[in-house]
Amino acid sequence: MKKWLSLTLVGLLLGSMAVAEEKLSMTEADRALYQEMLENNPADIFVEEGAEHLEELGGEEALAKFLGVSEEELPRYIAGFPRYIDKIGMVVAIDQMLQAFTYDQGKKPYPLKSAEMDGFAAYVKSLANGEKINIDVNANEHMKQAYKLGKEMFEMRRGKRGLSCYSCHSPDVVGLRLRMQILPDLGDPKVKAAATWPAYRMTKGKMFTLQKRFQQCMKNALLAKIPLGSPQMVALEVYVTDMAKGQEIHIPGLKR
Amino acid sequence: MRRGLLLLGAALIVSGAYAKDLRSAVESPDATPILEKDRLPPPKEYTMPKECITDDPLAIARGKYIFHNLNGKKAKTPPPKGLPRFIVVNGKKVPKQYGNCVACHNIEGAVGPGNIGPDLHNYKKHFIDSGARSYQFVYQKIADARIDNPKTHMTINLTTGLFTPREICEITSYVVSQKKEK
Ligand code: HEC
Ligand code: HEC
Repeated sequence: MKKWLSLTLVGLLLGSMAVAEEKLSMTEADRALYQEMLENNPADIFVEEGAEHLEELGGEEALAKFLGVSEEELPRYIAGFPRYIDKIGMVVAIDQMLQAFTYDQGKKPYPLKSAEMDGFAAYVKSLANGEKINIDVNANEHMKQAYKLGKEMFEMRRGKRGLSCYSCHSPDVVGLRLRMQILPDLGDPKVKAAATWPAYRMTKGKMFTLQKRFQQCMKNALLAKIPLGSPQMVALEVYVTDMAKGQEIHIPGLKR
Repeated sequence: MRRGLLLLGAALIVSGAYAKDLRSAVESPDATPILEKDRLPPPKEYTMPKECITDDPLAIARGKYIFHNLNGKKAKTPPPKGLPRFIVVNGKKVPKQYGNCVACHNIEGAVGPGNIGPDLHNYKKHFIDSGARSYQFVYQKIADARIDNPKTHMTINLTTGLFTPREICEITSYVVSQKKEK
């Protein structure tokens, strides 16, 4: 109840912030709000719902069993997604793995698009909080292929402006300004991109997964949005996650 | 006996079908058709049309507007005559996309400019009058910058069909025009 009240307040604040945000990437007031939200991330409530959902499906014990690891190994294992999972037969991100797991438990999986899935995936990834990203892009042929495709996707110029991810996130432009936004270096330990998504975006007032964040960049830069869970999207996640290898996971993140 | 065999058969099918079954629960649509349609055509060389560079104030105003705005929905002021806010694509009304050049370039009167591309202040004096750049060069740069620089981070504006040659002329005319404020 109290939480909902503070959420509403946050919503109001964000509403007025959105106007200022057009001009400046972050004003002093936004920064203060950001500090406050770091202590009390509005996304926590959705992550808690994810926790309840996992309980309904048998909890960490059932998940570990499904993945063929012990409960102690589970956090480290989760810190290695996207991975190739033999019994699914493809390279999957956490949300897709959870679709297979849910199905295996005899329940109907959440769609990748749904907010429920974002909370569920965020909770499961948060089990690895404090662990370092340990994705292994050389683990097998499937991962090698996915990494290669991901690099290709990252560098593919397309859309009405002929841009690629690389146009804005290559070493020679990161740190420069696009309008009032600093172009982030996705491998920078301060940005911790792959280690902090799903994250709450203050400017949008919602939590998003990494793939949904990719879609936002695509939309802004006029690249056709490719669907969540597509092999190309998962490959892009593999590639971007590898940039943040060794960085400590902290879910849910908080972003501008 | 017969029942036992049947059960054995069923068990075999289940183990074989298991992976396929799990897989069917996982969303994994193929993005290939979307990507194919969205791919950037190869670099293209253009010859600037006749009477491309103009000092017609209205044409320059359109070029300026395209330079400083993202699209017809986001733009705060109405566009100059001859430049729509919305266009119809496949029977659907959508915002017209503008150049948003200011996202990367500083120039006279820019609000919140980026610094990914070179500063275009005093472009006429420094680049045109000095002889460093021709109109044709600037036109080609804005139309398809890959001809001059295969690795460019600049947007491709004509080869992608985002603008018409006339619009590229208007943007070019604005960039090379004499501007008042510093
Ligand atoms: C036109 C420039 C541009 C293009 C093209 C672009 N991005 Fe971005 N991207 C940005 C900017 C600017 C930000 C930071 C925005 C902010 O501060 O809110 C960003 C942020 C991100 C982030 C979040 C980083 C964080 O804070 O954790 C990710 C992940 C990302 N981009 C991935 C991609 C991918 C993948 C692609 C290609 C599909 C792409 N981007 C294409 C400009 C771009
Ligand atoms: C995503 C970033 C970006 C955007 C958007 C962009 N540019 Fe550029 N522009 C660059 C970069 C980087 C260069 C320098 C590299 C090169 O010349 O290819 C450049 C170079 C130029 C030059 C050449 C300057 C010179 O004489 O050397 C001109 C003129 C120019 N841009 C005009 C425009 C116009 C007009 C638009 C909008 C229609 C635009 N740019 C949009 C990044 C951008």
